[in-house]
Amino acid sequence: MSQLNQISASQLIKKTAGRLIRPAIVARVRQDRFARRTFFVITLLPVFLILTVTIALLVRSWPILNTYPLHDLLFGDIWKPTNGQFGFWPFILGTFWVSAVGIVLAVPPCLLVSIYLAEYAHARTRSIAKPVLDLLAAIPPVVYGVWGLLAIVPFVDKVLAPSSDRWLGSPQWAVPVSIFAVNQPTGFGILAAGIVLAVMIAPLIISVMYEIFSTVPNDLRHASLAVGATQWQTIHNIVLPQVAPGILAAIVLGASRALGETIAVLMVVGNIPQVPTSIFDSAYPLPALIANNYGEMMSIPLYDAALLSAALVLLVVILIFNILSMLVIQRMLRRKWAS
Amino acid sequence: MRKFTLTLASLLVVTSLLLPGCSASTPDPAPAETNEASAGQPDESLSGIISVSGAFALYPMMTVWADKFHKFHPEVEFDVQGGGAGKGMTDTIAGAVDIGMISRSIKPEEEAQNIFWVSVAKDAVFPIISSENPVAEQILAKGISQEVFNKIYISGEITSWGEVVGDPSITDEIHIFTRSDAAGAAEQWSKFAGGKAQEDLKGIGVNGEPSILDTVIKDPLGIGYGNLNSIFDLSSGNTVPGIIIPPIDIDKNGMADAVEIYAIKQDAFNAVANGTYPSPPARFENLATLGKPEGLTLAFIEWILTDGQQYLESAGYVPLTPEQQAESLAKLK
Repeated sequence: MSQLNQISASQLIKKTAGRLIRPAIVARVRQDRFARRTFFVITLLPVFLILTVTIALLVRSWPILNTYPLHDLLFGDIWKPTNGQFGFWPFILGTFWVSAVGIVLAVPPCLLVSIYLAEYAHARTRSIAKPVLDLLAAIPPVVYGVWGLLAIVPFVDKVLAPSSDRWLGSPQWAVPVSIFAVNQPTGFGILAAGIVLAVMIAPLIISVMYEIFSTVPNDLRHASLAVGATQWQTIHNIVLPQVAPGILAAIVLGASRALGETIAVLMVVGNIPQVPTSIFDSAYPLPALIANNYGEMMSIPLYDAALLSAALVLLVVILIFNILSMLVIQRMLRRKWAS
Repeated sequence: MRKFTLTLASLLVVTSLLLPGCSASTPDPAPAETNEASAGQPDESLSGIISVSGAFALYPMMTVWADKFHKFHPEVEFDVQGGGAGKGMTDTIAGAVDIGMISRSIKPEEEAQNIFWVSVAKDAVFPIISSENPVAEQILAKGISQEVFNKIYISGEITSWGEVVGDPSITDEIHIFTRSDAAGAAEQWSKFAGGKAQEDLKGIGVNGEPSILDTVIKDPLGIGYGNLNSIFDLSSGNTVPGIIIPPIDIDKNGMADAVEIYAIKQDAFNAVANGTYPSPPARFENLATLGKPEGLTLAFIEWILTDGQQYLESAGYVPLTPEQQAESLAKLK
């Protein structure tokens, strides 16, 4: 690369018939090289950051990893730190349940909204709807939490839980659907947290999906329409297959946000360290565990280590999730190119 | 380029100079008699910065103390931060602050790290139920015993309001609420109910004192707990609208005696101050230092234990009794 710069610099001298003095060129080349190296180092920083964070968490959680077998920590389902029982399983499951409900609630409407905005909407509709959606993404999580507390928790308690209990979860139903059973009727729980999360991640998912739909060349749409396909057929047969990996990427992005969301979730989720069996149960996700206890407990050595290993578990869960989905997306892309 | 680097470097130097030196606790050679300060005459014999961090439960009180102390000793500056008892403790152990505010008892692991502490005020946690509670009248007449709280909050044997008042025909389910964030109040409540730590309490965890209050106000079947200064309207002395403080049947005679009823702030204050209210859930608020305090820090803590006590009541805390005051002062010597 630097050789290339040298060549072009000497060529430049020839072309300009020596009018440019050499030191100026040397300075320009040096400037270029300096920029390249600086930017390279800055690019490396995030990689180092992930490494340092992981190592720091590992070091700080070492006291507890050293005391208890990893299997007991990860899959133990009792959390009583003062009795020396540090089971993360309820928290890992809580994280999973809350995020899964959030994603399941968010993705279908997000897909429809982004299809509408990208394929059907009038330019004027789009110019109003897009900024409004971006605005939703800018609302701070704590505001969503308060909204959840004031609106969603009572809604779940007064409307969703009774009707679900009547129609889906009640024992007189031939096969009671246990994930809809109402065991703790207060409104605080996975469903409330899932609804809040769904609303929080929707703007992000819509905006990414919309951008992905816009990458499909218009020629493809025109070709499809020209042979007599309806707009719906065009979307269904031409556009959607093109963007499938991208849609998955958008969902992954939303899920990553959901897995890590802390304050809005902990305000409505009920925070009971139990293994949930129903979407109306309370749960206790990992980020909430850390946020609830870190300030108070960091002077108790083993508790501190337990919370930091919870952070480590969360980091690992999110990393595994992201790597897996990256692999899936890559495979999808490869298959698409192959065909 | 070089010019830019230079500018940047000089900027950094300037900003680092502008930042105040961290915790410049210049020990004052002669701790002045703090009593004369209350005469209203500014006393300039004390100077320096006192940094404090810790429990949110003590934070509002500490800001009042810092403000008053600063008035009498204008040369003394304060840096007061919240962050929770654990942060206060960690900061104190690390030497990052002079005083840590601790709203729970000091743990042996912490004392082992050279932590010294004194109690400076009393506070108490009270149970709360909604004023819309279906059995509110029976509860107000009979009270709730410690044993029943144990069966609600720890063992989970009692799940309906009918069982609380001994009327099996009432099957309304109890909605138990607790604090999700680690808090001294929750720990005290757990100890009262027969548990050891906050994690032993059953119930839906809501985040923060105001939330638990708000949730119980809205849920007629709810039960929760709150600190003295948050469950009473401090200016009128009545309970916060929407909640009832159930009498605690201390002598287990099955009825709420006059001393067991906490209808207004003064009842509750008196019960905590004269010790008829059980402890826990009454508790001491503590200040922690790394090793025995000296100099300015000592002067400030001594002032809190003497003149500072008068500000406690209006802020919703209970002052120490003379004996407790003497005990804390003796500990400092």
